Amino acid sequence: MNNATYSSLLELAAGLVILCAFVTLWRRSLSAIVRALCVQGVALGLVALVLGLHRRDVVLITVGCLVIAAKGAVIPTLLRRVLANDSLNRETSPLVNVPASLVGAGALTFLAYGATRSVVALVPTSAGRLIPLGLATLLIGFFSMVIRRKAASQIVGLLLVDNGIALVAFLATAGVPLLVELGASLDVLLVVVVLRVLAVQLWSKFAVLDLDQLQELHD
Amino acid sequence: MNHVSIWMTALAGLMAAIVGGTLPVRSRVGAAVLLTWVSCSAALVAVVSVLHSGHAIAMSTTKILPFTGISLELTPLGAVFVLAIVVVALASTLYWLGYASHGLSTRCASSALPLFVTSMILVPFAASVATFLVLWELMALASLVLVLTDQSRREAARSAAQWYAVMTHAGAAAILLALILLSAHAGGQTFAQIEAHSHHLSGALRGTIFVLALLGFASKAGAVPLHVWLPKAHAEAPGPASALMSGAMVNLGIYGIILVGNVLLGGGPVWWWLLVSALGVLSALYGALYAATTSDLKRLLAYSTADNMGLVLIALGTAGMFAASGSHVTAAIAMVAALLLMFNHSLFKGALFLAAGAVQIATGTRDLDRLGGLLRRMPVTGVVFLIGALSVAALPPLNGFVGEWLLLQSLLHALPSANTAVVITVAVAVAALALTGGLTVAAFVKAMGIGFLGRPRSEEASKAHEVPATMQLGAGLLAISCLALGLVPMLILPALMRGARSARPVGPVAAVHGWISLHLFGFHGVLAPSLLAGGLVVALAATVLARRVSHRRSSPWPALTPAEPWGSGRRTQTARMQYTATSFAEPLQRVFDDVIRPARDLDVSPAAESHYYVERIAYQTSSDDVIERVIYQPLIAAVRRWGGLARKLQNGSVHRYLAFGLLALVIVLVVLA
Repeated sequence: MNNATYSSLLELAAGLVILCAFVTLWRRSLSAIVRALCVQGVALGLVALVLGLHRRDVVLITVGCLVIAAKGAVIPTLLRRVLANDSLNRETSPLVNVPASLVGAGALTFLAYGATRSVVALVPTSAGRLIPLGLATLLIGFFSMVIRRKAASQIVGLLLVDNGIALVAFLATAGVPLLVELGASLDVLLVVVVLRVLAVQLWSKFAVLDLDQLQELHD
Repeated sequence: MNHVSIWMTALAGLMAAIVGGTLPVRSRVGAAVLLTWVSCSAALVAVVSVLHSGHAIAMSTTKILPFTGISLELTPLGAVFVLAIVVVALASTLYWLGYASHGLSTRCASSALPLFVTSMILVPFAASVATFLVLWELMALASLVLVLTDQSRREAARSAAQWYAVMTHAGAAAILLALILLSAHAGGQTFAQIEAHSHHLSGALRGTIFVLALLGFASKAGAVPLHVWLPKAHAEAPGPASALMSGAMVNLGIYGIILVGNVLLGGGPVWWWLLVSALGVLSALYGALYAATTSDLKRLLAYSTADNMGLVLIALGTAGMFAASGSHVTAAIAMVAALLLMFNHSLFKGALFLAAGAVQIATGTRDLDRLGGLLRRMPVTGVVFLIGALSVAALPPLNGFVGEWLLLQSLLHALPSANTAVVITVAVAVAALALTGGLTVAAFVKAMGIGFLGRPRSEEASKAHEVPATMQLGAGLLAISCLALGLVPMLILPALMRGARSARPVGPVAAVHGWISLHLFGFHGVLAPSLLAGGLVVALAATVLARRVSHRRSSPWPALTPAEPWGSGRRTQTARMQYTATSFAEPLQRVFDDVIRPARDLDVSPAAESHYYVERIAYQTSSDDVIERVIYQPLIAAVRRWGGLARKLQNGSVHRYLAFGLLALVIVLVVLA
């Protein structure tokens, strides 16, 4: 793989990651959001894969394959099971409407570019230039956790945050040690399982998956 | 050899804590006590070697605490404090063997008690800021756990622990600040480095450091107005723990003040020590007053601790003032007086708290108004309490008397001093000492007379039995030491003089000398405690004999019919008609009405037929701590209002919390970018 192909492939994959993050804010249907998340996971794996191929790093290639398997297949499947419980499969009334949230996400992306200037200067490679995208994905994930009401949306937001962190890690370092990467991924998997249980409990108690109902627990 | 003793102290103590936390319940306490004794004996070896040679022993290692390492050093001054702690610890752990079955044999308690003892023993060993703070905090936390051991049965223990936790950590924060300031400006964190450089610091900085350290350490010593946790935590802690806290832990507050003021900063201007003396006068008066008016046995003892620590602070302040104004001989006497008062307090307060714990076990109550007649039912405990009470009231031939005599001597010999402020303080201190002495006697006449004499005022008190032999022995050990040091004070005074010398580098070697009769060094002042005791015994014997002889002669009056004493002609009297602690304290409470401002509630309910026939009178009086009411309650209310404001931010919405998080993240990014 020559240098030009490498950098354009990398840009394509990383761009796909941030595009999917925007899609999760744009779409209201939860199944569409999960699909976007699935694509994002695959794109993230591709980033690792391209980096690994470029550096001829077997470990990084393995990590890329594992990421594609976990974030492209396992986690979306788990999420779809949560959604099967909810009859109204739409994010009907987010706290901030879609156009405004897209504007907010754009602003957060600007912030990410501004905040990572010094980091980018430290890593003067084609991979390093893409670091702001990782931070932007993280911020958008956080933002979507704030503005969405459904429990499933919260899980999606958390996964976006995790994907953003992973993207920064892939791009900024010459590959995180396999053990660390696996640990982080397992962590997220565990969180998804916990949230799924929480969602099921919420469903059986309140018959909705709306997190605002938890306010009832406030004393 | 010396290193071995320090290592042994720490390791055996640690082992005791581990063993206490892991072994099965039957062997746990015994093994923990045995290992604690090993630790205490090792410490005792170090103490004896230091006090005998007069040279410090030291060791340090960088393997335990990262970055700073541990450095331990035992100076003669520290050795005096370790000695006091070890004596109380030996007695209390012996007592614990018998006490354990009353809720003090849980894993948590049997691990915390040895840990508490060991960390207390090691605090005076600390020779660097980091070591000192770690051990100090360990001591505070272990004792906090012990205060909480009874929390499932007593609601008050929980609130006491809360007070204690807040006060001890506020104090620790002040100490931390003082020591960090000191080490930052002195360019090193070992005490040796600080000592060598501290005199280069500016006067204002030295003053700030001293005041901060004084606040922190005085709160541990229970000086008024930082004493509020003392009557709560000392009263709620189980028997051996309360003896350790009141007999040993408060000493370390005094140690801290000497350490920072005299050793690390090398003495200071007169106003520092005026402040210390003023704290002392306030504590002595306030503590004695509340001890005289409260009717809870352990609260009474705790207030008396504040009173005694006040006396120690007066002596300490006097020593500092004299040193600052150049009269080193008097300063040495006052310093020895401070150490002697501290040491004596450990012995008698340890004995008193152990006896009070025994009473609580035997009767299930600490309320003096429900006790009575215990001397007959618990003779050993009663005699121990009597000796302790006589000692705390500073009556000859007990050790408390020698300490107060020395303090008075140093104060009286200071009067021709030059500095006006010193003269005024000394005069006030003498007057305060006199008033305190009177109030203390009243308090302990009440405790002894109401609690142990007379008839039992409740079912529980009448069914009281003597406690197990180990408990009697533990408390008795301390009582016997009180008596021994009262008769021959020279048993301990040479050691205290060594300690005082290492606290104040300038000044004479000896403050007092003479085995049978004590002579002040450089002044005319003589006391012969053993002769005094002998005289007292002879006088007592003569009185008894004279009464016997006069009784044997035929009485000039006709034979009398026996009647109940103080019966006012009534035929039947119940035990409830006796004088109670509340009624004993009532006149005093009236005299000091403006200070205490007790809440009285007199409820007279007349019979339905006529107002002139009273059916029932209910009289209630509560004298809760006036400083707590005036200073602390408004403070707590203010904090609570602030908390209320913060509560408005929290409405239970997950989104709001997430938004806070995002906002904080964005702000950080914007600031950093």
